[in-house]
Amino acid sequence: MIAGGVRVLNVGLPAVVQGVPAQDVVQLDWRPPAFGDVAAARLGVVLDDDVTRAANRRALAAVHAVRPQLVAVRPARDVVPGLGEGRTLLHAGPPLEVERMCGPVRGALIGAVLLEGWAGTPTDALALIEAGGVTLDACHHHGAVGPMAGVLAPSMPVLVVQDGARRAYASLNEGLGRVLRFGAFDAEVVDRLRWMRDVLGPVLDGALRAGGSVDVTSLVAQSLTMGDEGHNRCTAATLLLARRLAPCVAEQDRGVEVLRFLAENDHFALNLSMAAAKLSMDAAVGVEHSTLVTAMARNGVEFGLRVAGTGERWFTAPVDAADGLFFPGYGIADANPDLGDSAITETLGIGGFAMAAAPAITLFVGGTPDDALDTTRSMARITLGPHPAFRLPALNFAGAPSGIDVLKVLDTGVLPVINTGIAHREAGVGQIGAGIVEAPAGVFLQAVRALHEVRVR
Amino acid sequence: MTTTSAGALAARVLPRLYRDSVTLMALASSLERRAGVTRAGAVMGTPGNLTVLERSGMRPVGLAPAPDDLVLVVRGLDEDVVAAALDAGEAGLVAVEPERGGRRRPVPQTVGEGRAADPGATLAVVSTPGTYAPVVVEQALRAGLHVLCFSDNVTTADEVRLKALAVRRRLLLMGPDCGTAILDGVPLGFANAVRRGPVGIVAASGTGAQEVSCLLHRAGTGVSQLVGVGGRDLSAEVGGTMTDLALDLLSTDDTTAVVVVVSKPPAAQVAQRLLARLAGLGKPAVACLLGQDDTDGAVPVRGTLEGGARLAATLVGAPLHVGAVVPPPAPAARGVLGLYTGGTLAAETRVVLARAGVDAQVLDLGADEYTVGRPHPMIDPSARAERVAAAGGRADVGVLLVDLVLGFGAAADPATPLARAAGTAVAAARADGRDLVVLASVCGTDGDPQGLDAARRTLEGAGVLVHPSNAAAARTAVALVAGGGVPA
Repeated sequence: MIAGGVRVLNVGLPAVVQGVPAQDVVQLDWRPPAFGDVAAARLGVVLDDDVTRAANRRALAAVHAVRPQLVAVRPARDVVPGLGEGRTLLHAGPPLEVERMCGPVRGALIGAVLLEGWAGTPTDALALIEAGGVTLDACHHHGAVGPMAGVLAPSMPVLVVQDGARRAYASLNEGLGRVLRFGAFDAEVVDRLRWMRDVLGPVLDGALRAGGSVDVTSLVAQSLTMGDEGHNRCTAATLLLARRLAPCVAEQDRGVEVLRFLAENDHFALNLSMAAAKLSMDAAVGVEHSTLVTAMARNGVEFGLRVAGTGERWFTAPVDAADGLFFPGYGIADANPDLGDSAITETLGIGGFAMAAAPAITLFVGGTPDDALDTTRSMARITLGPHPAFRLPALNFAGAPSGIDVLKVLDTGVLPVINTGIAHREAGVGQIGAGIVEAPAGVFLQAVRALHEVRVR
Repeated sequence: MTTTSAGALAARVLPRLYRDSVTLMALASSLERRAGVTRAGAVMGTPGNLTVLERSGMRPVGLAPAPDDLVLVVRGLDEDVVAAALDAGEAGLVAVEPERGGRRRPVPQTVGEGRAADPGATLAVVSTPGTYAPVVVEQALRAGLHVLCFSDNVTTADEVRLKALAVRRRLLLMGPDCGTAILDGVPLGFANAVRRGPVGIVAASGTGAQEVSCLLHRAGTGVSQLVGVGGRDLSAEVGGTMTDLALDLLSTDDTTAVVVVVSKPPAAQVAQRLLARLAGLGKPAVACLLGQDDTDGAVPVRGTLEGGARLAATLVGAPLHVGAVVPPPAPAARGVLGLYTGGTLAAETRVVLARAGVDAQVLDLGADEYTVGRPHPMIDPSARAERVAAAGGRADVGVLLVDLVLGFGAAADPATPLARAAGTAVAAARADGRDLVVLASVCGTDGDPQGLDAARRTLEGAGVLVHPSNAAAARTAVALVAGGGVPA
């Protein structure tokens, strides 16, 4: 009577299927869905239909079709929409009132004001910001992404990645130590930013003009086979990029300074993978009824989530400090709650999602290569499909798990893993460690409600 | 080594040893967890890292390693603590981790993951807390799986909605609160090892279906399919949606020659539709509707489980002989108390007693009011046993009726606690100068894991009078007390 015979998925008590031959039973390790929020779980089931699945196929295909090219390095004011007008600074994460901003973002804003020359001292800079003398907005609202504090000022050079008519932008990575993105703003920091503005940006731009654009997808793909995961470890990608640019950089005036800078900065390619991920994910923004996550970002106070089917709306929840490993002399008590737009890499399927590629940093996720494989496999449970270009050798060259699905997050209760740096909670100190965070459950619960509202409207 | 009032600070340089910064941070954090250590650092000796050590007061005087030297620094309570930590740190750096063994196999957690693990799965059995059951049931139905929903506490609105979804997809949704099914010979939930045979059963009653199927087995015939539909299926709200689908499936099931529907009496208009549906089934059918009068229309109706089983057995040419039990002398107290683990067995007992005009107190100890915070008495017999033992102290009770349900899902040995309790009760009554007669039947087959004969012998050994059917036990009660009083 049962076509195919009685073969059971058992959801609950094993005793209930005591009479069924063991080989015909799959026992689920079931847990309450949607983090125990039954109403949200029900909405998730309602949305899990052909309409959503078709929308998600469209959205993921659009993301995977993007082939970002690094075409130029230009002052932000010349290329980033809306940044050349008046006194505007951008920051990481969802938008936030200045009164609620955390120490590192405040510190970075101070540094940016000093760089722009809108104030002469940190005290005056802070006063200007708090008085509303500077327009503040989220990087994501301007086609840009910024790591950690993510502060982007008009005179800073940005990486310009392009695919057809579409573009995305990211600042240039300053290296480790006392840097603006971790909230440091002393003379050393601002001097370096000036050098990046006056030397690094123009030299790189000249090298790109001379040598042609760089295909970022193949760069990231290659780096994943060389031990990078594309977020916390970008050593291979940086080497590949530096090697590619080196001949043309060397021919530029002051090119050797730039090569020396690249040689000392293992993270330089991070910002490039971020800009490329932003360009890719933006291809899915607004795909009707899609439950694909298009952005995850933090501002040090709140975690923000964007979903394809709800366009540019942010779902936000308080964010925790990362669980991580600390530089000598620092600990969790010193850590600021997580921040940065860099989770755009995980949104695409690299970073924490590609831990299987990066044996050197498995300590962040447990300690062994097996733990790293488990992390990537676990992320595959909440994503829509493998990335066709980003292959992971350790998983038999399976594609990196790509395209977080709100419905799968709710169904499994598995939260996205994000690799991240850790900033000191006080403005001016800088980076104190690195680790991982999980996206908060609350944003996914909000998202499923909003997606359902869109559907029934 | 530098020792100050702030404790001791010391460094060790391991020349030309490279380790990744993540490895080093992990090592440092493990050193910091050692007793007496206040700070620890492990870094490559680059100028940048030395600056970090300098800034955090962790650079001992004179420390000047090369950039490719590995540096351990520890601040702690005293020199011994610090030296031990440095030794441990160095040992940690040169240690080799043993292979941890095979890769962990992920256990599927959701319906979707279960489907991926076994694409050939055809049926989901759901026994999650009732709050979540509608979510899981809907996922399973949408995935094309038949469902047996063991969970209770599902609203009628959800049941109606989900059964409509199931019917649209021609899938069985057995339940919610469905405890019993046998599909193509595979028992699910509380079910007995019943011989396969020509009788198809559709049941809105779990123990009712078990009793009918066990009696058919005893008659020498057997069951083709036993489809549980949940206790509310024939209610006015649900309207027999799943009974209809089950009958559709049985009407075209080659192994089914005769169909029995087992239920409490449905709402009038639902009963009418059911009988019309059975009349047009194309196969002989019996409506076993508990408490209804026995009638022999186009579709015969039987008001007891035994009556339904008897007729179905006759229709397939395997008449059921329920042997007579010689009743003992009637006790002085004429009160009858029934303590049941099977709800439908309790209901059948009430029917037999009511038909004979005997008033009695018959409790279904599996009802929600008795099972709050504890397992069903078919799984955990202890609560019923306590009540049985206590009945011996009641001067108004002369006859005690009990059931014993065997089969898959039931307790491993439900007979022993019942027999002990019955013995205790009889002895207590006797000590009080009274006779207490304990009447029982065992719902089970010779194939059940607990052993039918062993269970019967265990009860008989305690002086319990064991009957071949629940109705037969109730009839003995009638014979003993007809016209007697009611225990309060």
